[in-house]
Amino acid sequence: MMLRVWLVLSLCLALLACSSEQETSLVPAKLPQDLQPYPVSATPLPAELVWQTNDSDPEFADPRAVRGGTLRESVPSFPLTLRLVGPDSNGSFAGYMRALSMGLVDVHPNTLRPIPALATHWAFGADHKTVYFRLDPDARWSDGKPVTADDFVFTLEFMRSKHIVAPFYNDYYTTQLTDVIKYDDHTIAVVAGNPKPEDELLVEQVNIRPVPRHFHLLDEQWVRNYNWLPEPGTAAYRVSRVRKGKFVEFERIADWWANDKRYYRHRFNPDRIHVKVVRDNNVAWQYFEKGELDSFGLTLPDFWYNRAQGELFDKGYIHKIWFYNSVPQPAQALWLNMNSPPLDDRRVRVALAHALDFDKVIQTVLHGDYSRMETHNVGYGDYDNKGIKPRALDLPLAVRYLEEAGWTTLDSDGIRSRNGQRLALTVSYGRPEHTERLVILKEEAKKAGIDLQLQLLDSSAFTKKVLEKNHQIASLGWSGGGLSPEYWQFYHSDNANKPQTNNITNFADPAMDALVDQYRAELSKPVRVELAHRMEQMLFDSGAMIPTFKVPYTREAYWAWIKLPTGNATRTSSAVIDAMGNGLFWIDVEEKNRIRALRRRGEPLSAPVTIVDETWK
Amino acid sequence: MMQLHPQTRRQWQRFREQRRGYYSAIALLLLVLLSCGAELLANNRALVVHYNGDWFFPTYGRFLPGTTFGFDYPHETDYRALQQHFAGEARGNWVLMPPIPWNPYESHAAAGLFPPLAPSLEHRHFLGTDGAGRDIAARLLYGFRLSMAFSLLLLLCNYLIGTIVGIAMGFYGGRFDLVMQRIIEIWSSIPTLYVIMIVASIMLPGFWVLLGIMVFFDWTAMTWYMRTASYKEKARTYVLAARAQGASDWRIITRHLLPNTLTLLITFAPFSITGGITALTALDYLGFGLPPPTPSWGELLREGVARLDSEWIVGSVVVAMITVLVMVTWIGEALREAFDPKKHTVYQ
Repeated sequence: MMLRVWLVLSLCLALLACSSEQETSLVPAKLPQDLQPYPVSATPLPAELVWQTNDSDPEFADPRAVRGGTLRESVPSFPLTLRLVGPDSNGSFAGYMRALSMGLVDVHPNTLRPIPALATHWAFGADHKTVYFRLDPDARWSDGKPVTADDFVFTLEFMRSKHIVAPFYNDYYTTQLTDVIKYDDHTIAVVAGNPKPEDELLVEQVNIRPVPRHFHLLDEQWVRNYNWLPEPGTAAYRVSRVRKGKFVEFERIADWWANDKRYYRHRFNPDRIHVKVVRDNNVAWQYFEKGELDSFGLTLPDFWYNRAQGELFDKGYIHKIWFYNSVPQPAQALWLNMNSPPLDDRRVRVALAHALDFDKVIQTVLHGDYSRMETHNVGYGDYDNKGIKPRALDLPLAVRYLEEAGWTTLDSDGIRSRNGQRLALTVSYGRPEHTERLVILKEEAKKAGIDLQLQLLDSSAFTKKVLEKNHQIASLGWSGGGLSPEYWQFYHSDNANKPQTNNITNFADPAMDALVDQYRAELSKPVRVELAHRMEQMLFDSGAMIPTFKVPYTREAYWAWIKLPTGNATRTSSAVIDAMGNGLFWIDVEEKNRIRALRRRGEPLSAPVTIVDETWK
Repeated sequence: MMQLHPQTRRQWQRFREQRRGYYSAIALLLLVLLSCGAELLANNRALVVHYNGDWFFPTYGRFLPGTTFGFDYPHETDYRALQQHFAGEARGNWVLMPPIPWNPYESHAAAGLFPPLAPSLEHRHFLGTDGAGRDIAARLLYGFRLSMAFSLLLLLCNYLIGTIVGIAMGFYGGRFDLVMQRIIEIWSSIPTLYVIMIVASIMLPGFWVLLGIMVFFDWTAMTWYMRTASYKEKARTYVLAARAQGASDWRIITRHLLPNTLTLLITFAPFSITGGITALTALDYLGFGLPPPTPSWGELLREGVARLDSEWIVGSVVVAMITVLVMVTWIGEALREAFDPKKHTVYQ
């Protein structure tokens, strides 16, 4: 029987090996033909516009940076698609794909002010909804075609299309973005659905990413036909090689249009980024120690304290960095599906929150390095509702709530039941290293009579399960970002009870809807802050999510041939070795050869290097 | 009153002569019996509590809330704390804990102790703890019980179905045999691992579901042997004689064919058991087996490989696994020898 299992396994591997010999073709079989330019607007550009730009903030890249080399990274599972929208496109690989295209403007990572990207200048309309942009005439798609106003106009058409099977985008680009107006090939206006404060309007609301019109043939087959076709981007890298199940490789566009622009020069230095699938984090660590991966995240305490030790570190071949950043915290939490009984009962949700001992987890397996996350949105300045303290372990209270809810009978293990139904809740999660935390929570929850059942899934399967709202409790973190918290996608009833949206608690409350709508329409920051506080309070009262941990830093290990810029990273860097984000580091190819030679001879490179950077703490 | 057939007695005698197989059988039997009472060996529930003149035996049965012993909490008593509490009071109350005072699920989590903890007599972690602070000895013991139960049940189901179908094929032959052969060929080409992976991605594959899937795909193996054996036996003259005397098919199968093919089943059994254990371990190792936090050898093995620097994890599970598999293999070897009709062959 064992033999059978292995035979099947090896057969699969053999088949996989054969089938993946061939790399995936990255060009569509058919491209749209005879594209006519969109008509220009009948009304002329308003005369009183005040054009703004930003060419005075300090540059944050290091002029010493040199281009070259290949950065090798790993991901735990192969993406289900390379599309940017549509089913399964919001997996963990989406970060790479989204980084291939730029928006109209960007945010300076240290000053947090807008800087030019695809647009060189912008101007605000009087209605607080419209922003006018002058596009950079140099901007090119990665296939060499120029980026024009038509691509922005097409964005609306594309994002509103039913063929992309993305209800969230369909709605967002209808209600939140109402129009894109073309004045000439390089002048456009983008109109938001609701008035917004200027900074958020510019940086978030109307800051759309163009969709290459010459690439997409929109029809019923789009989701399938374009599943493995990376769309041309405007950023420094493009997908160059794909071998399904194995790797995705990106290459630097040598004559990238923004190579010499202020804020973009000396960045994105590796010639190639090779992202390989390594299904097990521990195997990835072995690859890293062998020098086959260039960097490795050490945020997990076990890795920072226990694994990242030994000869490779003592001899200075591998450096460690503990970099405090100042960014909106990823919303790490247990998300309770309120459609899944008994979690439809608030008392059960609140009781669960009071039955979990997060402090114990922090003090033991997390080495005291993490802190407790307080609410959904933390790290947004004034928007944070500091009045909310997360529900702490309080077993008597938990028991009282459960008894009120009718869960009064105890079985012989001490698990509660009601009308013969056991109080068993399934927690799904996608990262094996979270098992250790969850088993501690499980044991403590038992004391309140709650049986937490753990379900570890492959990360793609996990994403699918959660987005299809088939989970009961999901343990995951949403990456945060932006200037103010987002509520609509998580808590508006528009997104509840339908698959492929981010409202994974199925939160549907008219009172919340009203607040969300008001928040989205409001212009004054103090009022928005006040609304955010009220929404956060309402969320807390509902008990729909149980915030878990926050980590206000990134910790990484990297081979010494990777050179960091002055200042190591930026205020908003979520990672130091972040090739497609800020892309500030570079690879010293000669140093790499030298280190390899030293290592063969067993000679040290330098004293151990551990950087602790608290600039932005 | 059942009398042992002289031949069976001879075979038993011969089995006992295979010393290492015989002793392995005794040791394994002992281990299985011990693991049946795992709750008495590794548990956070006390064996005996003597409190204010009353006797409590909390191991089996309903949990006793802390209030029973004068604590102020309504959930299950922490007997290790109770033991220390009584020792401090010196009022004649006492608690007897099992040799390993940890159950396989609870994590030994206290501030300042970062798991995995190395083996220590002080905390009575004889084999240390895993990354979540759970006692490895306890998890090995409960994991052993689980894999033994799994493979024995698997064996029972597989042999039951395999024997019935196999003998029917051999005995009736003809078109029935032909059709069944094709069905089984197709059946055995379904990739078990894929099915398990698919099932694991849509539901929590518990013990019975996993057992069901394995039986569903593995019963076919036994049919071939039973088919051949009954083909051979049915052509023998004693079957012909029985038939000539008017014996029914049922009688021929149960009274004549089955006993004469039993040797085959018995000699195969130990190897099926090792197969069952390794299959479950492999599935757990790959993460498609029993869901965490079920104590399982595969999960320990995976964790041990992930934490090679905490050598007590991988050490314990590898030693335990090799010991059990080698013992079962020796038993199998001895059985084969005992049932060998050519008495003087040597098993190489």
